[in-house]
Amino acid sequence: MKILYFAQLKETLGKDQDIIQLKSEISVNELIKELILKGGKYKECFEQMKNLRCAVNCEYITNYNKSLKNKDEIAFFPPVTGG
Amino acid sequence: MKVFFQKKKIVFHSKLNEFSLKNKFSGSISSFLGKVRPYRDKKKVKFLEIEFYKKMAYFQADKNLKKILSKIQIDDFLIIHRYGKLFPGENIILVLVASQHRKDGLVFTKKSVEWFKKEITFWKKENFQLHSSWVKSEYE
Repeated sequence: MKILYFAQLKETLGKDQDIIQLKSEISVNELIKELILKGGKYKECFEQMKNLRCAVNCEYITNYNKSLKNKDEIAFFPPVTGG
Repeated sequence: MKVFFQKKKIVFHSKLNEFSLKNKFSGSISSFLGKVRPYRDKKKVKFLEIEFYKKMAYFQADKNLKKILSKIQIDDFLIIHRYGKLFPGENIILVLVASQHRKDGLVFTKKSVEWFKKEITFWKKENFQLHSSWVKSEYE
């Protein structure tokens, strides 16, 4: 599964994406917990989810119980500033 | 009816001419041209950097423009938005709308510009003389 990062989040993590292989479906909440467990900058960024937005396959999500599959693309980013 | 995101400059008069010729039987052409402002809170902006989530920007633009189009009748539109490095005074977004009647064209122009200015998955970073900072979202 592809995890994308944008703007300030990308700068803080020093990367624009991670690719992970899921053994089974997990929820967005579980993924966030996994990211926090990586520690360091991940912990710093994902413990403060209130400052981040999340989109799965280009659709904003607010229900973090949504389950994710390997073919999904999930993105985390700060609120958009628009054009 | 197209949306483009591009790094290269937008040449307003040539796009307007092309679009007007393409839609020569429309009763009106409405336009909006957004430009990069030279100052933020009295601080001089050296340049602007725009980062965007391309796939989501196209997906959401398509979805939201279809929603606007479900309520009004227009003949054609062209929306070009730049990303990458932009300097003050440069054109940042162009919206051209062809319609039989001006009212529909103006409504589409206003609604599409409002959507792009607030909702598109873009993040802007302003670079000043001594520092740079991300532009704050209206939703923060």
